[in-house]
Amino acid sequence: MASQTNCSVDIPAGRGRRILAQAAAGLLRTLWHCRFGLVDAQRRRKIVGQQARRFCEAMGPSFIKLGQLASVRPDVFAPETVFELERLQDRIAPVSTRVIREAITRQLGADPDRVFADFDDEPLAAASVAQVHRARLRQAYRPVRGAVLPAGTWVAVKVLRPGIDSIIAADLAIARRWAQRLSRFRRLARWGPIELVDEFADMLGRELDLRNEGRTADRFGHDFKDDPQVRVPRIIWRHSTSRILVSEFVEGWRLNELGAAERAGIDARRLAIHGADVFMRQVLVLGYFHADLHPANLFVTPEGQLCFLDFGIVGTTTAAQQEAIAQVLAGLVYGDAARALRYSRKLGLEIPETQVEPIRAKIEQLVHTHLLAPATADVRGFALGFLSTLTDFRVRIPAGYGLLIKALVTVEGVSHAIYPDLDLMEAAQPFATRLIAAQLMRPERLRERVAAARSAAMEALLA
Amino acid sequence: MNNFVELLAAWALFHESADEGWKAAVARGRAQTPGAMKDGPDAFVEGLAALVDEEKERLKQRLAEESTTPEKGTPSESAERLEQLGFEIAELRGQVESLQASIDGIADQLQR
Repeated sequence: MASQTNCSVDIPAGRGRRILAQAAAGLLRTLWHCRFGLVDAQRRRKIVGQQARRFCEAMGPSFIKLGQLASVRPDVFAPETVFELERLQDRIAPVSTRVIREAITRQLGADPDRVFADFDDEPLAAASVAQVHRARLRQAYRPVRGAVLPAGTWVAVKVLRPGIDSIIAADLAIARRWAQRLSRFRRLARWGPIELVDEFADMLGRELDLRNEGRTADRFGHDFKDDPQVRVPRIIWRHSTSRILVSEFVEGWRLNELGAAERAGIDARRLAIHGADVFMRQVLVLGYFHADLHPANLFVTPEGQLCFLDFGIVGTTTAAQQEAIAQVLAGLVYGDAARALRYSRKLGLEIPETQVEPIRAKIEQLVHTHLLAPATADVRGFALGFLSTLTDFRVRIPAGYGLLIKALVTVEGVSHAIYPDLDLMEAAQPFATRLIAAQLMRPERLRERVAAARSAAMEALLA
Repeated sequence: MNNFVELLAAWALFHESADEGWKAAVARGRAQTPGAMKDGPDAFVEGLAALVDEEKERLKQRLAEESTTPEKGTPSESAERLEQLGFEIAELRGQVESLQASIDGIADQLQR
């Protein structure tokens, strides 16, 4: 039943009121837990994050997805909120198999039993926007890369929940209406609520076309073809559309299922370091990175490979950013807060001159407390402290910078899930050193420095 | 003449000492335990020397391989370009196959 239309989007009757009621209840709970503003700012932001997470979980698929997208945007939301939204539970009751079968038939023009040799009615996973079933190929298929997949190969069939796009479109229409109202208030208008909703709508739109994810997976697999420890399931394009993505089925352990027995069969420490290395290669060499790494999107195979899934959210870096990121990394790894801050400013962090020194001092303290502590380094604690510091000093965080910091924290989580005793900072030292050395040895950098070096040598000789 | 030979001898001595110093730094760097690079500027330089030496050995090996198979350079570049082209063509094939799947679905809907 639809009662209103907004830009030709059907909004179910009472949906706006339900969202408003839930938001109001959340606001009251937040006020109560914050003791009506009496608790300190950090604790207050954490409570807001917890309530935002509960709100998203209560409001269903589109808000869960919005929450997930928000969880990689520390440039927009408070760091405590972002880290809390990361814990969003994206597991909801599966859609009936009949509905999924109908969706496949509608998309591919044939019943799943005709498309596949076998189709498992029991879903492998059910998330907010899609559901995954297992099937077997009826005919051999030549994927974009690698060997031909023979008939009978097991595949994973990811199907968008029928009607999910209209649910999301309706919720976005409501959000846009509220954003328009909120932007009339000058204090709220500077947050750009309309632009924010539009940006989220774009991100969601990209995620709802599964072909984007498939293309990124193929590109990622191609770029890591020389790395035997990285595996990316290949896409079966013959059975894939904007709403269905069929890929190779890979067996393995999710990171949260990795116990001592599984670790015993693989070189866990090496794999954990390699995982961090793979991430650095994405950011600093390839110029794009998997920005949505969490235990469900990463497997360890029995062969000791890292298997990457779900390329829905991808971050990008330019060559200039790569150089600055390498310097920030080196600054953090060697405890040089001034260097980290100097190159962070090159990455778009706008810090007024008067605030540089207090922020540097705070970062130095955070580096020594969290990264260079005698026990294992705590990148997450550092990131939370660092982002909170920037928030406290009202420094605007560029979108790419925030996404990168979030991704670094995730890399630490992933590395620790594989090998809990890994000290990421220690493991990163040789990598950071090599990186800086390689950058300094680039011909264009050498040419830049030759003139200065020649003058210095002449001065020394003539002195 | 004597001055000139003396100059060359000083130059040779300078290089010999630098070489010995470098080798000793590499050896000390290799002997470092993980994390020891942050134990001060000397430890850092020695660790860096070990890393540079590793990279130098890799470079030597690569150059040696290239010199023993002189024709390898260009064909390997061509092979890499061909592989890249193959991947891009395969990507396009994938997109066409996906479009075909969508058209089959639409055609089936129209027939019903």
